[in-house]
Amino acid sequence: MTEKNTQNVEITAVEEVYAKRKKIYPRQVTGLFASLRFSGVLSLLGLYYLGPLMQWNGRQAILFDLPARKFYIFEWIFWPQDFIYLAALLIIAAIALFLVTALAGRVWCGYACPQTVWTEAFLWIERKVEGSRAKQIKLDKKGWSWGKFRIKFTKHFIWITFSLLTGFVFVGWFTPITELTARTLSFELGPWEAFWIFFYGFATYGNAGWMREQVCMYMCPYARFQSAMFDKNTLVISYDEERGEPRGPRKKGSDYQTDGKGACVDCSLCVQVCPTGIDIRDGLQYQCIGCAACVDVCNEVMDKMGYQRNLVSYTTENALHGKKESFFRPRVLIYIILLSVISVALFTSIAQRVPLGLDVIRDRSSLYRETDDGMIENVYTLKIMNMDLKPHRYSLAVGGIDGLILKKQNKGIHVDSGAVLNYPVRIQAEADKLNAASTELMFYLNAIDDDALSVAKEGRFLGPVYK
Amino acid sequence: MSEDNKVPTVQRFVAILWPSFVVSGIATILFFTAFDPIEIIGCVGGWDVSRMGYYSIGFFLFWLLTSLNSVLTCYFLKPCAIK
Repeated sequence: MTEKNTQNVEITAVEEVYAKRKKIYPRQVTGLFASLRFSGVLSLLGLYYLGPLMQWNGRQAILFDLPARKFYIFEWIFWPQDFIYLAALLIIAAIALFLVTALAGRVWCGYACPQTVWTEAFLWIERKVEGSRAKQIKLDKKGWSWGKFRIKFTKHFIWITFSLLTGFVFVGWFTPITELTARTLSFELGPWEAFWIFFYGFATYGNAGWMREQVCMYMCPYARFQSAMFDKNTLVISYDEERGEPRGPRKKGSDYQTDGKGACVDCSLCVQVCPTGIDIRDGLQYQCIGCAACVDVCNEVMDKMGYQRNLVSYTTENALHGKKESFFRPRVLIYIILLSVISVALFTSIAQRVPLGLDVIRDRSSLYRETDDGMIENVYTLKIMNMDLKPHRYSLAVGGIDGLILKKQNKGIHVDSGAVLNYPVRIQAEADKLNAASTELMFYLNAIDDDALSVAKEGRFLGPVYK
Repeated sequence: MSEDNKVPTVQRFVAILWPSFVVSGIATILFFTAFDPIEIIGCVGGWDVSRMGYYSIGFFLFWLLTSLNSVLTCYFLKPCAIK
């Protein structure tokens, strides 16, 4: 019997999670948080669409040049060898997100997440074309007609155009956008560039036009674990139940307290504006992305009624229950310390980075060769990477074994900025100076015009064993 | 079995395609940071495709493998008929 009951509970839970989606028509809001989000959305979209157009020393300022395997970020060029910096940057971003979440809840979701940003943009287009929430609902209920088709067609046409532009700019972050524009205008796009423009465009259209809150609910991993960063001092959006209940309609001007009512007039506007379609009065829910649309709209209603604001508000659990709030709790301090340590380490190591790389590759075809005059010769290919912004000449030296002779030494090795040079060298040693079949030797590469540019790399010198 | 059918097909596709998409993205980044496709192809010989092309092909191969993994996970999640 009990077994059957648990099974029933499980089934309902599954049904709830995967309930057939009802389309949500978020009502437009105005107010403090709506304007905050609007400015956030506008600046982030501006950054995304205009970012690739930024120039720096005659090239794209920020370019993750995947075809050339180089990342340009203003003054810096990063190579695949610098992957560790990217990893550190991602760790910094993750901890920063944890810190912000611990302090202010899901502000990332409500204001800065690309899903929110593009959904807002798509909602804006939808409102411009289809009209207000009420008009949208009416239109969807109506049967198909020429007028409805025209409106829907216009909306999707604008959405798709906007999505394709988004896909185009996306590819523009990874391949120089001026050339990409030229190739697009002359219909000479590479197959993969075209593919990714359409792929990303399609993803934008699908996610911001159709999926919307379902992305947050079913696909976002952060939404699932963000509550782990929450504590009683985290800012969340809460409904003041004590003040609001019992909710209900009332006559304007009547004193609700003597009527035994709470401040909530049960206008349901907080539900209508919610982009994820929840009722905040049911308490904090996992679907709540912290956008504060309900705060804005409820404050408007409270003002109209002449009641005190913040029946629904950004607050902490402690504040709501009249307890002491604390800002610097252990969790926050740990995040701050971690964040500062990794940031300092990252920036000092980038600042001290030597923009010169050297790889030593032994000739694969032969171990060693004995020359006519009895010397042992090894052949190497040096891979010299000039990661600096200007060309350099380098001088090469070897050491580690007595009496090493470097053949083919000349006035210096010229390597252009951002270039990789494969430089073959032959090195000879006297046979009696080699104590083992494999001896370590060192390669030293120094820029002739800049003392700070120097690297050392070890290699193996192979020879015969006489002992 | 009946409760299985209550999960909409769309959700099953999300559960298979989406996690594998994320993981294959990570795998692509790690793999092509360590190996330059042009150099690998230089060693073994291959078709005339740009780096962008190799990245894309690599990504979709990874996606194929990781979604296969997700499919198997979903498959083995089905309860066995033990009586």
